[in-house]
Amino acid sequence: MASALRAALLGHIRVPIAQNLTLNGSKLSLFSAVRSMSSHGDDHLTREEVIDRVLDVVKSFPKVDPSKVSPDVHFQNDLGLDSLDNVEIVFALEEEFKLEIPDKEADKIDSCPLAIEYIYNHPMAG
Amino acid sequence: MTSAVPPPVRSEVLLLFRSLLRTSREFADYNIREYTKRRTIDAFRQNRDLSDPSAVVAAFSDGKSQLEVARRQVIVHSLYAPKVKSVMEIKH
Repeated sequence: MASALRAALLGHIRVPIAQNLTLNGSKLSLFSAVRSMSSHGDDHLTREEVIDRVLDVVKSFPKVDPSKVSPDVHFQNDLGLDSLDNVEIVFALEEEFKLEIPDKEADKIDSCPLAIEYIYNHPMAG
Repeated sequence: MTSAVPPPVRSEVLLLFRSLLRTSREFADYNIREYTKRRTIDAFRQNRDLSDPSAVVAAFSDGKSQLEVARRQVIVHSLYAPKVKSVMEIKH
């Protein structure tokens, strides 16, 4: 019975756009201009955060000597890793920052500065 | 004996490696996910220094068939996903 009442009411109310808008995955009502559920302002990571977390991932890699790790090391040249380790490290970075790095880009990341740059510039890094 | 198949290029091997790792990530179950990842890494590392081209080709095609197996298993396992997360996945 409530649904019949609702249907009758809705028939009378003229709403130009559908009642439930989905924007950024959160439901907004038509007249609410405030994005109450979005976290846009504080979303992006600071560069320091990115650097710290990237270095942590690299340092915790079993084959890496943590004392050699700095923000400008090259994985293969400075840390003595091979290309398989490179893929592993990029994969671990994907897990840490919850990203999906396409293969073309992943192939290019072979040093800390490149990794930091890529992650810092990625809008979805979390 | 098959005719000579050219051994895979480095980029193909790395692509297979990455595909296997990515597929392992799709498993819902912690144990299978970690096993697949670990096994992939160990197997590729073990076969890293193969010099005989036919051995390389054999290992590569073995890897490709394992990738297919993993992909099918992801789908099958998702039909019976465990409802309770493993204790290792609970962040403390």
